[in-house]
Amino acid sequence: MKRFKAAAVVLVLALAACSGGGDDETTKAAPASQADIDKAMQTPTELTFWTWVPDIQKEVDMFTAKYPAIKVKVVNAGQGEPQYTKLRTALKAGTGAPDAVQIEFQYIPTFSLTKSLVDLRPYGAEAQKDKFVDWTWSQVSGANGEIWAYPQDTGPMGMLYRQDLFDKYGIEVPKTWEEFAAAARKLHTADPKVYLTNLASNQNGAYMGMLWQAGAKPFATTGPESVTVNLNDEVAKKVGDYWGGLIKEGVVSADPDFTDPWYQALNRGKYATWLTAAWGPVFLTGSAKSTSGKWRAAPLPQWTAGENKAGNWGGSTTAVVTGTKNPVAAAKFAEFLNTDPAVTKRFATEQFLFPATKALLADQSFTGLKPEFYGGQTVNQVFSDISGTVDTQFQWPPFLDQAVNDWDETVGKSFADKSDTGAALDQWQQRVSDYAKNQGFKVGQ
Amino acid sequence: MKRRSNLLTIGMLALLVYFLLPLFWLVVASTKSTGDLFSSFGLWFTADFHLFQNIGQVFTYGDGVYGRWLLNTLFYSVVSAGGAAFLCALGGYGFAKFRFRGNSTLFGVVLAAVMVPTTALAIPTYLLFSKIDLVNTPWAIILPSLVSPFGLYLMRIYAQDAIDDSMIEAGRIDGASEMGIFFKIVLRSLAPGIVTVLLFTLVATWNNYFLPLIMLNDPELYPITVGLAAWSSQTAGGGGSTGDLLALVVTGSMLSIVPLIAAFLLLQRYWQSGLSAGGVKG
Amino acid sequence: MKKGYLFILPFMIVFVAMLVVPLVYAAYLSLFREQLIGGTVFAGLDNYTRALTDDRLIGGVLRVVRFFLLQVPIMLLISLVAALAIDSGLLRFAKVFRLGIFVPYAVPAVVATLMWGYLYGPDFGPFAQLAGSLGLPAPGFLTDGGMLGSMANIVTWEFVGYNMIILYAALRGVPGELYEAAAVDGAGSWRIAWSIKIPALRPALLLCLIFSVIGSFQLFAEPQLLQRLAPSVIDSAYTPNLYAYTLAFTGQEVNYAAAVSFLLGLVIVIASSLVLLATRRRPA
Repeated sequence: MKRFKAAAVVLVLALAACSGGGDDETTKAAPASQADIDKAMQTPTELTFWTWVPDIQKEVDMFTAKYPAIKVKVVNAGQGEPQYTKLRTALKAGTGAPDAVQIEFQYIPTFSLTKSLVDLRPYGAEAQKDKFVDWTWSQVSGANGEIWAYPQDTGPMGMLYRQDLFDKYGIEVPKTWEEFAAAARKLHTADPKVYLTNLASNQNGAYMGMLWQAGAKPFATTGPESVTVNLNDEVAKKVGDYWGGLIKEGVVSADPDFTDPWYQALNRGKYATWLTAAWGPVFLTGSAKSTSGKWRAAPLPQWTAGENKAGNWGGSTTAVVTGTKNPVAAAKFAEFLNTDPAVTKRFATEQFLFPATKALLADQSFTGLKPEFYGGQTVNQVFSDISGTVDTQFQWPPFLDQAVNDWDETVGKSFADKSDTGAALDQWQQRVSDYAKNQGFKVGQ
Repeated sequence: MKRRSNLLTIGMLALLVYFLLPLFWLVVASTKSTGDLFSSFGLWFTADFHLFQNIGQVFTYGDGVYGRWLLNTLFYSVVSAGGAAFLCALGGYGFAKFRFRGNSTLFGVVLAAVMVPTTALAIPTYLLFSKIDLVNTPWAIILPSLVSPFGLYLMRIYAQDAIDDSMIEAGRIDGASEMGIFFKIVLRSLAPGIVTVLLFTLVATWNNYFLPLIMLNDPELYPITVGLAAWSSQTAGGGGSTGDLLALVVTGSMLSIVPLIAAFLLLQRYWQSGLSAGGVKG
Repeated sequence: MKKGYLFILPFMIVFVAMLVVPLVYAAYLSLFREQLIGGTVFAGLDNYTRALTDDRLIGGVLRVVRFFLLQVPIMLLISLVAALAIDSGLLRFAKVFRLGIFVPYAVPAVVATLMWGYLYGPDFGPFAQLAGSLGLPAPGFLTDGGMLGSMANIVTWEFVGYNMIILYAALRGVPGELYEAAAVDGAGSWRIAWSIKIPALRPALLLCLIFSVIGSFQLFAEPQLLQRLAPSVIDSAYTPNLYAYTLAFTGQEVNYAAAVSFLLGLVIVIASSLVLLATRRRPA
């Protein structure tokens, strides 16, 4: 099964009923001329922008300062799934959808399938390609070369670990997953109240990042109406059995994350590591204040010694929504927000979004920071290096919500119940394939 | 003359504790900082009295959107409840005091509608509303809340009992129009029943979660229930600097129930008087 | 009398617009199938046959049936006892009790669930704290085995006051002469409660029961909010209403969701009729 060169997803052109205002011209539109763009940017316009980035008004103001004719109304319609639900119903209804929207990488195929996103190529997106880290650009690209969004922030995965606990129990920073498993056993035997890590049974995002790192190809779009679903192949089983095994053994916990008990556990030192994304370090600084100075960062352990691979968890993009009356202004807004050096720098330093641009990842004033929480380690540098090792081939399914929901109720549940993860993987495969078939896809493996 | 039973009083006291303890916890919790919420015993205060800071934070977080939510809730529920009570009073009186073709059939249909599950309605209503541009407006919450089959049922029974046919006859003999009779004579006698229906629909709209969850996109329009649930899910969202919303959710919850409890205590005598007819004859 | 129409017209207009029309529209939607690939096609009764063999839906329905059988008798019993006690005249401070028990009804389900969710917390909820200080393990409120009971407790807490007030109001409507006659015959308070008051409450109890059937089958806010605390316990098909919501908004299967909602409505009608049938007064 030869992999497709371009990562990410094929847009299914002729299909997708009922997506609001699904006009075809966006995909084939001729490039907008500079004159068109200039004119659009001087025409009084109001854009609506859905985002959950806190205090983003400042960055938006920087845009409107440059283009005074354009007003931007910022709406926080919820974080993640609630927002997508609202977006979808608004699109279905044909009214109430925003012009531009914050959307996570993994949801791009889901929304491009229903023709809900505007291809940004006619508005000069291709020229921005080199500003962004390669894997982020392949995440926002469609199979026919469409560009569905501008990357805003990213979450290459690494390992945050408690230096003090490692020292106390004589644990070396594990370089491979084999060493990691051994360390998990050693630590938990030494102190049954402590786990080397917690793999949250409700957190599909982290798990997908693990699959990503292992080189799994759970989903691929192989044609306009066909997808492949490989959730229980050899690589997927390797990852699933590894984690399922450690959890069943009782040396790794599977508490739901971002819940109050989980926050408490982080503060109390129940977990000696957090396998997290590049946004994790700042997040932890705010959530586990009492553990300041005790944490360090390292890359994820590897499946093969000496390799250097990573996956991604989280991060998002800015996309333009089909049906906008002002595609030019909306596209330029999305572009400005994610390419303007002052704005992106502000995102990185004020909202602590982990950058998607090459320039910032190489910027000494960003990578050179030595937060006290990490004992003065240059954490950003660690994750900046990791970002360069993220596989560019990973693809998401065009029905992400369903795939995640099914994961929660099969694989995630097997972690929570300490039951057979292998069987759960088969179930996951079965449920997702059934859903895809029901939705009219040709499903392959 | 009546003997009091201490045993019964003690038994009921236990029941009362069960009903009020969670609320007491809520009040205690809203006086604590987030740190103390986790580290101190839940059912007693700590030395660090954080209530006013918490309240201040609730009303300032997100540009003071919480205040908006409170006002929205108040507006939605007062308008819906007032409208629903009025429609029920008119309709209940009509069903109770006029014999017309299809009276009991229509009434039966309305009563049966109580059983329609909310999801069955919410999604098609959403799609229909979106066609006429009502989605994401206050009307999307108010219009569906105007229908209260149970309210109609109560008002019909209440009108049957409380309105004397001779009063209506007297009005007719005086040459008053039917509407005139309703507004001048009937409405006053129906008042306790109307207040009861008003309270029921007020609570129903105040508590409504499913409908606004679907209908509204703009946080500026949220009622308090959807707003609090959104805050609560943000604490669980992770992924960015969402900060520390736990104390906000707790204090916001506490503040949100104060107005309704106050309304309950003030209007409590109406509950009983309006319901006695409905309950017995049901 | 034709003038009657005038009075019911405003109600009926809103009723038709907000209830009948959406319902008919839902029925219409349920006959189609919309696919991500292939668009919308007429599906006849396919959605219904699918629903009838959908294990997840059936599992959810059986779960709310269990919930109903567990929660409703307890709730109505407490409501009945409370109403009788307050009405008995044997209670000191009866008014305080009446108000205190009624107050939770003023608390929105969302707030009640958030609140109980914290109280149930296995690490720092007051119950876990108490258990911990006594050296006991934290009670498993949010576990697979405990969840249904925990949810039943929340719903009971919310609605005892509501049911109590309906029953109490009905009690106040019982003519006083009946009691006096009984008292003359030498009947004590318990006996009066048993042989006069409870039979008189029959219609009111029935009303409460029917509302409870409807409420149980439509359970949504409580499981939806508790899902966040116990994601591996509450899945998306935990209750039929939650399932319909997930189908429509996560799976984008609006048409199937409409069929599921329709069937759910049917189940509620059947369950209510069963209740009515089972409690029908035997001929004297």
